[in-house]
Amino acid sequence: MKELAGRLAALDPDAGAALRVITYFDSLVEAHAGLEAIVRGAAVLAGCPARLVDPERRVRVRVTPDGQRDDAVEPPDGAWLSTPVIPHGALWLERAGPAGPVDAMVLERAAAAARDALDRTRGRAPAPRDPALVELLCDPAAPEPARLAAAHKLGLPAGGPVHALAVEGGLASVQLAVTPVAGGRRTGVGPAGAVADLPRSWAAARTALRFTAEGTAQDPGPRVVYADELGGLAALATAVGPGTPPVPDVLALERAASAAPWMLATLHAVATTPSLRTAAGTLTLHHSTLQDRLAHAERLLGWGLRDAPGKLRLQLALALRRLHRNPA
Amino acid sequence: MVGMTVPVGPPPPFDPELAAALATIGELPSSLTLDMIPALRENGIMPTPTDDELRRGGEYEIEERAVPGPSGDPDISLLICRPTGATGPVPALYAIHGGGMILGDNRSGLLGALEIAAEFGAAVVSVEYRLAPEHPHPAPVEDCYAGLVWTAKNAAELGIDPDRIIVAGGSAGGGLAAGVALLARDRGGPALLGQLLLCPMLDDRNESQSGYQMVGLGLWDRSANETGWTALLGDARGGPDVSPYAAPARSTDLSGLPPAFIDVGSAETFRDEDVDYATRIWQAGGVAELHVWPGGFHGFDALAPQAAISRDAGDARLRWLRRLLR
Repeated sequence: MKELAGRLAALDPDAGAALRVITYFDSLVEAHAGLEAIVRGAAVLAGCPARLVDPERRVRVRVTPDGQRDDAVEPPDGAWLSTPVIPHGALWLERAGPAGPVDAMVLERAAAAARDALDRTRGRAPAPRDPALVELLCDPAAPEPARLAAAHKLGLPAGGPVHALAVEGGLASVQLAVTPVAGGRRTGVGPAGAVADLPRSWAAARTALRFTAEGTAQDPGPRVVYADELGGLAALATAVGPGTPPVPDVLALERAASAAPWMLATLHAVATTPSLRTAAGTLTLHHSTLQDRLAHAERLLGWGLRDAPGKLRLQLALALRRLHRNPA
Repeated sequence: MVGMTVPVGPPPPFDPELAAALATIGELPSSLTLDMIPALRENGIMPTPTDDELRRGGEYEIEERAVPGPSGDPDISLLICRPTGATGPVPALYAIHGGGMILGDNRSGLLGALEIAAEFGAAVVSVEYRLAPEHPHPAPVEDCYAGLVWTAKNAAELGIDPDRIIVAGGSAGGGLAAGVALLARDRGGPALLGQLLLCPMLDDRNESQSGYQMVGLGLWDRSANETGWTALLGDARGGPDVSPYAAPARSTDLSGLPPAFIDVGSAETFRDEDVDYATRIWQAGGVAELHVWPGGFHGFDALAPQAAISRDAGDARLRWLRRLLR
């Protein structure tokens, strides 16, 4: 009998093979197969090693394409194909991209099956991570040996790269820097480094969290913000504390926001795109409609929005508004 | 083994990984009829490894040799795979291919046998026996036995240690290997070190509980089994006069046999007859190691070699051989 992997490899990837991948993982899920079987399926069907890592649930499974369990110690390579396994983990195929149609299907189906198995065997979110260990990792006052021991328990290599995440609601999380960040909740991402650098990464992640937004019409902006990309804006965060009165530009922005439901999303688009034409495209507006809206906004705000200084002033007002909404 | 004494329960579930592999492949029929034989042979359902694959990157040298068949019958062909650069006589697996008595040739499944043999620097001698229904019993088992006798007699020339020959086969090949072991015992033939019987096809009566449980499921169900045995035995199948060399389950004396390794899946037709064969070897005072792999369908480890349970099944065979050979 010709074995499964050989048969699959012989199929036309566009037509037959993707369908077989779906059948394979559906069947595993139906039979309540364990994580190792799911990762093995990914490795066998993709023809390269596959690994699943969920540091918070302390899950680390790696299987080679011959079916052998072989948990590796070295961290994953950022160039590999990967997909997040909501809420904390990730699944990798140890092969650089681009993903073919079969790879993409393997990743999607295996990740969904893994999430199912994790929920069933490790409990639903919030995952049974140990908050005390994560807190220890991020605590600058904790002795370094204790932090290294905590990292080891969570399956994190001492040399990294690891980073801290600050999730809305005050949750701290630590993960391998190459793990994709799940965007389900607003998240600030600290810079990557060694385990010893995690307290600094955590502080920066909390700052980054303050610049996140819900991504809605009343709170437009990114749900995930990387501290590395804030630049000088980070300094602004220290200027806005819980009792700090808003500067006049922020008050003007709030007034404008209450005048029209489209106001904030329109201003965000204008502030973050290179041209008004692009902004109109992002908002799916006719160019002249955007011109009308801008004129209206400029009257309410009291400054112009069509030159560089006006745009910078708008960007700062939007950033300050988020800092007020997300106090430290 | 005869009759149904207790109600047949539902089929045992397949192992999750094996179920996924089976569902994914999808096109393998559980049932076979005699009229499907030509098409199955033509489709090459049993893949044929090339010379290069058999050489395993220079680890083995291969030779196809015509040797005398049973007396009065044509020559048979042995595919002889010897480890290159062996310095003394090596142990040998005498391999008998599967295929329900009706399919395959002496290269079918041979890569698996070579993989096992390579662990021990052993030779593999694979016999090309005549297939039913064109050549009914006793042609297949006598061809296999003649090849074994020749191999043992010419062991020195082949660089094989005649005291360390193990007969090995899966499915129909397992049944034939068991038949060859009975013949060797009864005719004072070559002394075998062991018999490696992988999910062997042993009982032409085809009335086991496991056979009824697995109708239409997995691979090689009860109706396929009837097809294979009828091809081999014709109208005599299931009757009173079937030779134990054709269907070793028919033997009433399982004493004095070489140590047996028997494995089988819990979700296949052959489960009960294989368990029974091991049990009767023990009852006769013999040596047998039995593995029943839960949720395994027939030949599961060939179809899904990467599955955890397939790897475990392979490891168990290697451990048995290690104890036997070292």
